[in-house]
Amino acid sequence: MAHQAHAYHMVDPSPWPLTGAVAALLLTSGTAIWMHFNSLVLMTLGLVLLLLTMYQWWRDIIREGTFQGHHTPPVQKGLRYGMILFITSEVFFFLGFFWAFYHSSLAPTPELGGCWPPTGITTLDPFEVPLLNTAVLLASGVTVTWAHHSIMEGQRKQAIQSLTLTILLGFYFTFLQAMEYFEAPFTIADGVYGSTFFVATGFHGLHVIIGSTFLAVCLLRQVQFHFTSEHHFGFEAAAWYWHFVDVVWLFLYISIYWWGS
Amino acid sequence: MLLTKQLMALRQVARRSICSSAPRQVENKVPQKQKHFQEDNGMPVHLKGGSADALLYRMTMALTVLGAGYVVYELVKASFPQKKD
Repeated sequence: MAHQAHAYHMVDPSPWPLTGAVAALLLTSGTAIWMHFNSLVLMTLGLVLLLLTMYQWWRDIIREGTFQGHHTPPVQKGLRYGMILFITSEVFFFLGFFWAFYHSSLAPTPELGGCWPPTGITTLDPFEVPLLNTAVLLASGVTVTWAHHSIMEGQRKQAIQSLTLTILLGFYFTFLQAMEYFEAPFTIADGVYGSTFFVATGFHGLHVIIGSTFLAVCLLRQVQFHFTSEHHFGFEAAAWYWHFVDVVWLFLYISIYWWGS
Repeated sequence: MLLTKQLMALRQVARRSICSSAPRQVENKVPQKQKHFQEDNGMPVHLKGGSADALLYRMTMALTVLGAGYVVYELVKASFPQKKD
């Protein structure tokens, strides 16, 4: 298949950017229609289309890299840049919510009682479940690094075990956080405290779920022999994303849970 | 005597069915897949897997076209004042 005289990847024409764009249109319009006219059809259709697009697009990338050999060193360099730029954009996304939190909490208005936490808010004890959550995510950072070293050293069984453990820790975090949400003495409607708390931690929780899913896909691929000791960028990207999720939590814990209590 | 023999057999079976390594032996199908996806048949990567690819593609495209049409309809409908009875 030596039809090209260069190391770059000229991709085959693909329908997934179009289906993804339509999915985004359906999701956004669908959310608006849901809020105004109480119909979930459009939004659900958008969600289904989004899931189909993601599955097929990423399936194709695995085919192009692992089965067709298109991910040469220069191509891999581009993928690395891409993942780093994407994670950077997510950092800015969270920066906004931290800005909102500090804006409201550094100069609390008279309506809140001129204090932070606002009058009437019972905060969560930062040294109970939130501290456990911190330990869980830090431990998962260790296990994902263990998985990486196992892959690099060709230790198949250890890689599978440590990657599985990482995913289980991710699930444990999500479960604990869900319990906290259920038991919390305040809601998202409880003024700016509730808003900043649940929007910031909520988006973080969503990213934990996304990260766990990414790692789970890597586990399936590791079991199916896709990764070699020299070439396993999909896993590295998942590990970078996971570390990012961990760091965001640390900032959340220190700012909102600890300083903000 | 028979019960002891049956118990011994049960113990042997139990030992055999406990796997010492998880997961069970998965066969490395990557070389097969590499050969399949590198076949010079002019198929684009999103259809190169076989008939299941084509089915999933057609389903996705159908939802895309239907969805695009439906969203235009809903947005046009939402742009006009709704008669309230």
